[in-house]
Amino acid sequence: MANAQAISKGTKNEKGSNGGVLKIAQQAQNLSVLLFLVLLYVVVGILNPNYISGDNLANIIVETAILAVVAYGMTFAIAMGVFDLSVGSIQALCASVVATMLMTHGIITSIGIALVVGFLIGIVNGVLISKLRVPAFVATLGTMSVVRGAALLYTDGVSILIKNQSFGAFNTRSILGIPLPIMIAVVILIVLWAIFKHTPFGRHIAAVGGNPNAAVAAGLNVDRITIIVFGIVGLTAAFSGVMLSSQLMNVTGSMGMGLEMNAIAAVVLGGTSMQGGRGSLVGTLVGAFLLSSISTALDILNIPSFFQYLATGLLLIGALSLDSARRQLIKSLLRRSART
Amino acid sequence: MKKIKQFNAAENAFLVEDGLSPEQDVKETASLKSILLKLLNEYTIVWIVILTGLILFISNEHFGTVGNLTSVLRQSAFVGIGAVGMTFVIMGGGIDLSVPGIVSLTAVIGAFLMPVAGVVVGLLAALLCGIFLGLINGMVIMRLKIPPFVATLGTGYVYLSIVFMITNEQVVMVNSPIILNVGMGSLLGIPIPFIILIACTLLCSFLSKCSRYGRLVRSIGSSLNATRAAGISVNRVTIFSYMVLGLLTALTGVILSGYLSSANGNMGTGYDLNTIAAAVVGGTSLQGGKGSFVGTLAGALFFSMISNALDLFGVGSYWQYVATGSVIIFAITLDGLKAKYKSHA
Repeated sequence: MANAQAISKGTKNEKGSNGGVLKIAQQAQNLSVLLFLVLLYVVVGILNPNYISGDNLANIIVETAILAVVAYGMTFAIAMGVFDLSVGSIQALCASVVATMLMTHGIITSIGIALVVGFLIGIVNGVLISKLRVPAFVATLGTMSVVRGAALLYTDGVSILIKNQSFGAFNTRSILGIPLPIMIAVVILIVLWAIFKHTPFGRHIAAVGGNPNAAVAAGLNVDRITIIVFGIVGLTAAFSGVMLSSQLMNVTGSMGMGLEMNAIAAVVLGGTSMQGGRGSLVGTLVGAFLLSSISTALDILNIPSFFQYLATGLLLIGALSLDSARRQLIKSLLRRSART
Repeated sequence: MKKIKQFNAAENAFLVEDGLSPEQDVKETASLKSILLKLLNEYTIVWIVILTGLILFISNEHFGTVGNLTSVLRQSAFVGIGAVGMTFVIMGGGIDLSVPGIVSLTAVIGAFLMPVAGVVVGLLAALLCGIFLGLINGMVIMRLKIPPFVATLGTGYVYLSIVFMITNEQVVMVNSPIILNVGMGSLLGIPIPFIILIACTLLCSFLSKCSRYGRLVRSIGSSLNATRAAGISVNRVTIFSYMVLGLLTALTGVILSGYLSSANGNMGTGYDLNTIAAAVVGGTSLQGGKGSFVGTLAGALFFSMISNALDLFGVGSYWQYVATGSVIIFAITLDGLKAKYKSHA
């Protein structure tokens, strides 16, 4: 424990002498992601000008928003040092709930019920992890399976068509010239960012992620924090389910499979460290934008979709190598300052 | 029983070598009751499997038929062989999500090479490829210092894309009679994949208990820094674990391609989480440092039995998701509560 304190003190002292180098190293990853994005748009734009047409950009924005919203929640989880594998299943169940509710209820009620369902599943995850001491990986692996089953049973394996046209206009409408999906993604970003950076709760998340034992020793109610964080993850997954169903207007119980991996990839590409204790929500939005841009680019260039795997895999490894290189740099700087 | 005694003797020999007390006298005077308690404690999943088997045997007349039991054993092997390798990796504090990629890639390579170069060359190529992919995983994790979860998520994507590239998203047929027989055949009434699973389990269990490597894996899993500080080449040991997993996953790929008489990019879907689940339900801790190969075998059998039972009772496939998930959570909760009870007592 004393060691950890020494290290964190060391980092603070470091900011004076080597702060510039550290900052550059920290920005290197963000810069490389941005550089990659610019390159992608220039190259694909030249190969097929349709890529940068208004219609296609709107499409990319909708996809980005849907992925980003659930990846925000995942950012909280990863900042706390855990994963949630159940988000894809929650997305599917909540999309199914909203689709069936729309047959008999209004838009607001339907969305509300879907969000409550997602939130409650998240709470269940949190209780399993904190109160019953099930490791997060296993607990959410279990609920991933259970909720997927629930979604398939609920829809009975058939796809549900949404006939409520004003619900579908959700994604095409724009306010003050800004498309509604990006508006939603940004508003949720601001709310979560404010929670993460400017409330005690947000700092507690980072504290638990940075050093769980120290957090317990400091008297934090880790159980409560865990439950709330997983509640937020469930809520964001539900929200992305609502947005996805409004985009597709056609819901099945098997949608959203593999979403958990995409969300984790977006978070990691956005520069959130897998070590916990840190999280960048803006980075996550950029990561989601990057992944959506790639998948749309492959679509528009008629490249087989499996190249998406290749791109995602290589990007992940690349981004993480930079992340670990940065940590190595910090470590060696600390060691050097300890010697002098 | 004889084997267990041998293991214990060997373990004690190692303990002596390490300068620790072998607790020989305690073991010799242990009463039957305490041995039973120990068995009950350490192999919870084994008892659950036996109990479930008995209940199914009594409640459903089809469960006990030779054909059905054979099918249960065969299905358990497809997950079990990989899960045995996964146990090493998890025991060392790691995890591997690239299993689906390795299963498909090695199966496809084998299927491509066998008609051209013969079964032996094809099989060897597939297994070597598995070892190589495991090596890549280990290198990415240890040399580039990327957390195993995302590192193997990344490499898994890459492996899968390579499969789709070389197969052009087509299915590759497997015609070799030997491989088909390995996947579908039986020896003395026992399905060949299950025999391979038993062999792998025994071998790995032996490796884990009676070799320096096994002890180092456990030691790395329980405290990476302490092991490193003790001057152990942590990288080499961990990379070796990923190579073992790669080899066993390749074996799964080849056997599965024999069973399906084809190979394609989607054949490995779900094998990552299934193998992890089998290992974890079998008592291997995701925190590292603790693992049981017999437990993993039982875990694989358990999942295969559950899915078979749901089929027999005509429960729809959607309920299978619910059942599988609940079983995972229930088994781990039980384990957690047991640990809690123990620490209180």
